[in-house]
Amino acid sequence: MLTELLQGTDAGGFLIIQDSASYSGRHLLKSFINAALHREEAVHVLGFEVSEEELKDGLKGASIHRLHFHNVYTDPLGWTHNPAFTVYQFCSEGVTQLVKQTSQSKPVTLVIDSLSWILRHVGPPAVCKTLQQLRKGGAVRAIIGLLHADMHQRGTVGSVCHMATSVITVAPGMKGDEAVAKITKRSKSGKVMQDEEIFSFKEDFTVVVQNRPSQLGLKQTETEERETDPTANLTFNLRLSDTEREAKEKLALPFVFSKEKKTALLHSGRGSGRILYEPDANDDYDQEDPDDDLDV
Amino acid sequence: MAAPMSGVGEASAERSSFNATSFQKKTRSRLISIPGTRPSVQNGQLLVSTGVTSLDYLLGGGLAVGTVLLIEEDRYDSYSRMILKYFLAEGVVCRHELFVAAAQDNPDDILQELPAPILDDVAIHKPVEQPRLSCEPQDSMDAMKIAWRYQNLPKVQSALASSSRFGHYYDVSKTMEPEIRQAAKCHRFYLPEHPTQSSPTHSTMLESYSALLKSLQDVIHREGFDVAAPMTKSRNILRIGLHSLGSALWGDDLCCHDNPNNVHALTSFLYGLRALLRSSLSVAVVTVPSHLIQDRALMGSITRLCDNAIALESFKGSERETNPLYKDYHGLLHVRQVPHLNCLASKLPDHKDLAFKLKRKQFSIERLHLPPDLSETVSRVSRGELAGAATMASGCSFGTSGNKHLDF
Repeated sequence: MLTELLQGTDAGGFLIIQDSASYSGRHLLKSFINAALHREEAVHVLGFEVSEEELKDGLKGASIHRLHFHNVYTDPLGWTHNPAFTVYQFCSEGVTQLVKQTSQSKPVTLVIDSLSWILRHVGPPAVCKTLQQLRKGGAVRAIIGLLHADMHQRGTVGSVCHMATSVITVAPGMKGDEAVAKITKRSKSGKVMQDEEIFSFKEDFTVVVQNRPSQLGLKQTETEERETDPTANLTFNLRLSDTEREAKEKLALPFVFSKEKKTALLHSGRGSGRILYEPDANDDYDQEDPDDDLDV
Repeated sequence: MAAPMSGVGEASAERSSFNATSFQKKTRSRLISIPGTRPSVQNGQLLVSTGVTSLDYLLGGGLAVGTVLLIEEDRYDSYSRMILKYFLAEGVVCRHELFVAAAQDNPDDILQELPAPILDDVAIHKPVEQPRLSCEPQDSMDAMKIAWRYQNLPKVQSALASSSRFGHYYDVSKTMEPEIRQAAKCHRFYLPEHPTQSSPTHSTMLESYSALLKSLQDVIHREGFDVAAPMTKSRNILRIGLHSLGSALWGDDLCCHDNPNNVHALTSFLYGLRALLRSSLSVAVVTVPSHLIQDRALMGSITRLCDNAIALESFKGSERETNPLYKDYHGLLHVRQVPHLNCLASKLPDHKDLAFKLKRKQFSIERLHLPPDLSETVSRVSRGELAGAATMASGCSFGTSGNKHLDF
């Protein structure tokens, strides 16, 4: 499923790469940027955590001119006099304006590196609202964000991922350069697909997906024992031949009655002591509350 | 107070003509009957159907008018959204008015996804109905040769259903026809369309919730759903569906932080909502993403503030998905609270372990059955262990099950 996601997100899609301190998701983020550039999309990167050189390192090719890096790294909180973009300007109008400055009319792919940085300074409800507005608005086609799951409370991570259409959680794999990705994808019809894959990177940030991780460790699938035939290897014969089976079925069992007697016995419920009662006028068969006529 | 229905007055009217005395029983003036409702057999409350007949059975026949049903969402909000759509679709079919509020999706999108009703009532299944009515043996059940006396006994009724045809059935694979949907009046509240400005007064409720409550109040007054309104025209029920309250898109940080700043925002809103509902002919279904709320005490108070509360737990994504015990079902359903309206005790559901399954024509809620363990590894308790266990159970309980016979 990882390759499908790399090949393109649908319009209005929101993909989150969740990583932790043990394995950084930035490599995978660069793969996504690379794939988007190869698809000839305009990619805008809001860089909070790493500098432009570091992010562009390794991404080569003629399509690099479609990558627009908005440098929030040098001055994110606006301590100098004229910052390019501060984290407090992260609202839908601010981002739309920023994106429209440098791009043409085609909707862009917005990459946020990283969402955790914004969540530290702007509250989660505001961030969620902004992301929702960006998705619904026309300027941005798809959003890809990097989220460090161990930096926030569980509720925050859960709330942001609740809004995403796809979530990829990366963790270190068994061998050195491999990593495990747990992918959850929600389609528009509400169907949820999940997958777990092992992947590694090649030189130019393309992703090589290996097979699914084998079931080692704690999850041991029990192999079903083949059912042994109990009638084999005996000194007496427990099997039936066809004629014997026919004879068995023809045999009249002692308490098997004919069909008429059976139905007569089954439906003989009536007539065996039922009490039929018709309430007459003297009975006070009143369903209403006797206190109803009290005028209290 | 939820609108009570007077009891059946017809029988007494007939009876009075036979009375020898001149005593006239004073009967309360009856409410004009509203389509799609019926009185409860337990306490006389006016009930509406939730759209899911199994859920009606769990809630004691239906949702009482003037109450709130809280649905704790499952992890990916698929089944809770489905129940909300069933509820709204039932409103369209019964010709009630609808009010839909959402912050994430446009209410129009939710209304377009309503399932199509199965209007042919004859085609409704229910093979677990007792076959005593028919004299000829049923084709579907093979006639038992030896145990034929048990043939006509009803099968174990694992699917919960109320006996009367109160609710309707819906086909999930089709959406409702636009003509049917447009025949019903819908009021919408989409949060991004209501720009909120920070209020100068410090209130416990958030602006988004205040705006929603105000909008609800306006609709109820304007359309005449108040109980206090003059009963000149025909009355109708307002069905309110509130999607995903408490999520971050409503501006609430209940789901985001362990110690939220707006602790009382959602609880104040629910309190106001319930007060509004009690004085009007309306019913509300609220869904809350409770899996994101970390503070269990807060979740408990939210549950207490609503009359009915159920929680859905879907198996998708959890380790239970591969558990063979659960392979027939899509998730578990927990009943967190049943209402006690105008009475001291309420009718609790018989079974606590319920599981749900979304089929194409029905959302069925069943009692979770343990499948028979037919494998070779079933342990057989030896007689000695059984005797030892019996003596231990009769005396004081030790709690260890490994003891064999105790020789006294």
